[in-house]
Amino acid sequence: MARLSDIRAQWIANHVLAHEPALRAFLSARRVVHLEVDDIIQETYAILVGLESVDHIQNAKRYMFQTAKSVMLQHLRRARIVSIESVAELDRFGLAIDEPSPEHQAGDRQELRRVIALITRLPEKCRQVFILRKMDGLSQHEVSERLGVSESTVEKHVARGLRTLMESLRTGGNGGSGASSHSEASSQPQGERRKIHVRSGDQRRH
Amino acid sequence: MSDRETSGAIDDTAALWAARVDRGPLSNDEQSALDAWLDADPRRLGAYARARAIDLRLDQARVFGADLAEFQEQEKAGPSRRGLIGVGATAAAGVGVAAVLLRDKLGPLTDYRTRKGEIRVVPLADGSDLTLNTASEVTVRYSQAQRDIRLINGEALFNVAKNPERPFVVQIDDMLVRAIGTSFTVGRRDDGSLRVLVREGVVEVSRTGGEHAPVRLVANTRLIAAAGVPPRAAAIPPAEVTRDLAWREGMIAFEDTSLAEAAAEFARFSDTRIVIEDPEVSSRTVSGLFSANNPIGFANAVALSLDLTITADAREVRLGQAAPPHQTS
Repeated sequence: MARLSDIRAQWIANHVLAHEPALRAFLSARRVVHLEVDDIIQETYAILVGLESVDHIQNAKRYMFQTAKSVMLQHLRRARIVSIESVAELDRFGLAIDEPSPEHQAGDRQELRRVIALITRLPEKCRQVFILRKMDGLSQHEVSERLGVSESTVEKHVARGLRTLMESLRTGGNGGSGASSHSEASSQPQGERRKIHVRSGDQRRH
Repeated sequence: MSDRETSGAIDDTAALWAARVDRGPLSNDEQSALDAWLDADPRRLGAYARARAIDLRLDQARVFGADLAEFQEQEKAGPSRRGLIGVGATAAAGVGVAAVLLRDKLGPLTDYRTRKGEIRVVPLADGSDLTLNTASEVTVRYSQAQRDIRLINGEALFNVAKNPERPFVVQIDDMLVRAIGTSFTVGRRDDGSLRVLVREGVVEVSRTGGEHAPVRLVANTRLIAAAGVPPRAAAIPPAEVTRDLAWREGMIAFEDTSLAEAAAEFARFSDTRIVIEDPEVSSRTVSGLFSANNPIGFANAVALSLDLTITADAREVRLGQAAPPHQTS
């Protein structure tokens, strides 16, 4: 099992993370068989960690999509349920990787602003810890001294905040509350799934 | 398949591990525990990598702390506070620049200075305070009628306690910056240009000769006066004002700043020089918040994110192009 180096984690932070919502939207709309989007995402990241080098990757988004596709194929082979439909779906999958990515232009700044908006909505204590740790750049140790709480309490707040942000990235950056309406779509008939999924992200905004 | 651990449960544990690593290096036992956890399911490594990446991404959000502070301040203050500052400034404007020239009994003169890399907050007798940036010097003289500050070198931020009866005037070279209750910086750069940045309230800028009418600057305005050209004032976003004041926390903030400019900025704070000979490299840009007295840390971060080589000794850090990437696909 590969270990996660700081350098690779940084590379993922800088080049991959921003494309996750696009990949999720894509997978959700084209899902085949009983394969959870979250599983594919996690395995995709695992493969990116395991790569010996990422120097050759010019287009991280494309690489991420291709990796996700290979994860799907592997699952399909293992499950022996390659229907004609699913192969067709995968073809479409392949085509879409070549599409230009307008959201790439949206840029770091917008993404970070969204993150900041999320931080401001964290529960009081958790937000306090996050602001000191991430905005003011104090270490967890320094944060614990500043707030007069134990280091393990600070660590717990960091974990809670991270978990919320992980969830918000999963649900399209609209706060961490709606966690699990995702999988409901899989019980829908194939034809309707697409529409339903596109809406599910928007519903949470109201 | 149904008794499989859910991806959500994996994310829960991944967040705990990422938070633990965020705290500091793992002990050997902890590393073994993490490895054992990761080994049991390939999805765990992915979830953990994702959690770590989000954590690292947040460190880069620091430079946007300005937005957060602004956001919170607006919530707190509401419109009424701004209104009050405006009224005070207008009333005081009537007192006129002439007050600057009317010297009465002079108070004692006090001198404050900082060495390179040092930042100092000086509380003043009237409740105002000033913060001296690196390698700066001011003299302070309070009299009955006026609060006189002279900036001899460098740059300083002034938070002025409001008192329309007793103007607060900062002089640098032949430029006078007059405030009533406000927050602003005044400084001189190495090229001799003078800068005024207004964070809150209103200030009035004039020249000691008095041949020009004073210029009024409102909050979130920067004025640059270089020799031989008329002073230029420009509105800037509040977030940029706060970034510009990162030095108060011992930090330097960049946003799409060229490495050449960034190196020059670090040179204000530290004797360890950042040297970039390759013009292609020095024109590349960087964003982020960095510790002002740690040019080596900055260079390391830049080398990592821009894929540059780095060589360092006690006096300087050199950044250059990395060798062409080897093909592994």
